[in-house]
Amino acid sequence: MLTPFDESRPIFQQIAERIEDDILNGTYAEEDQIISTTQFARLFQINPATIVKGFGLLVNEEIIYKKRGLGMYVTVGAKEKIMNKRRERFYNDLVVNLLDEAKKLGMSTEDVVAMITREKEKLDQ
Amino acid sequence: MNTVLEVKNVSKMYGRVDAVNSLSLDLAEHTIYGLLGRNGAGKTTLLHMIAGGIFPDSGEITVHGKRLNKGDVPTQCCYVRENNHYPKNARVRDVLQMAAVFYPNWDAKLASQLLGIFKLNPRKKMRQLSRGMESMVGNMIGLASRAPLTIFDEPVLGLDVLMRERFYRALIEDYAEYPRTILLSTHLIDEIATVVEKVFIIESGSLLMEEDVEHIREYAHLVSGLNSALDEFVAGKKVLHREGYGNAGMAIVYHGITESERSQAEQHGLMIEGVPLQKFFAYLIEEGQTHE
Repeated sequence: MLTPFDESRPIFQQIAERIEDDILNGTYAEEDQIISTTQFARLFQINPATIVKGFGLLVNEEIIYKKRGLGMYVTVGAKEKIMNKRRERFYNDLVVNLLDEAKKLGMSTEDVVAMITREKEKLDQ
Repeated sequence: MNTVLEVKNVSKMYGRVDAVNSLSLDLAEHTIYGLLGRNGAGKTTLLHMIAGGIFPDSGEITVHGKRLNKGDVPTQCCYVRENNHYPKNARVRDVLQMAAVFYPNWDAKLASQLLGIFKLNPRKKMRQLSRGMESMVGNMIGLASRAPLTIFDEPVLGLDVLMRERFYRALIEDYAEYPRTILLSTHLIDEIATVVEKVFIIESGSLLMEEDVEHIREYAHLVSGLNSALDEFVAGKKVLHREGYGNAGMAIVYHGITESERSQAEQHGLMIEGVPLQKFFAYLIEEGQTHE
């Protein structure tokens, strides 16, 4: 089945992440209505209950909220909230792992910093 | 939620073979279920009994609160068989007309839309249809019946990839607007993995597992690394399968893993990955076999 989701971990979490990505990249602005459960189900051929669960995660984190009878809307301040959460994850998942791996390979912190600086310069050119 | 179907300790023998062995399961309203099992696991026998085609040797089947007696056909139930036997000389449109009379919730508009989506010519006779097109006629009836309990037995057999996609899409679309209880019986697991909410896994006529698919995705992990670290990690956890090579090995673990457990395991050089439903099913069945 065609699905952009990784079938080996819970889909509802990936649905929440996808909506978060859409808020970060500007697909949805604050106070915009997001895609409906039915549309989402049809688009990706996913059981509606799974989507409701994914949206539920975001409602709990106050990233989206329900307007009764209308649908789900992006909360004011949602983008900031997601960015803070992602920064924390960036540190935990990427920075910590990066330094662990560097240590295994016998690289110093200075080596790592130098590599990052070099790469950033290349990108900026 | 209300129970739509109740199967209680149902058994059926063919000669000396236990086709279904003291099996129990409940289906709630507004849910799509998967009935998974290998060929010959007893799926079709179970479905025939639910649909009233054959009667169990023992046990009870209750559909919409009414217990099935011998010869009863459950009301408000549409069973799309793997080998549907519509009259060979009937045209597709005649078959649809019969179905329209038979199912009280029949939606003629949906049926005519599906004719187009599934590329079926209503003037064709059933005997002129390919295996896949014949399946599609059954699937169309299953969807347009909007029966509160709809059962599909191997609905995509003989269909090409495009038509399979169209069937699943039509199913999800219509279900999203008209929720009901749907049971999809299949051995093609990865195709229905995102469509179903809950699965029943059966093997040799018995129920091996009954679980939410999202729960399985959360719990099933493939952990690999050095055996010493692996032993420590799997202690107290349910292991479905274990395999080794030299000092290293891998285990299929069925257990929740917290963030701190995960990072600790990674510190010890273990790798933790998810397991797709299809793989999980294979390991589960294999494990059942070695215990026989």
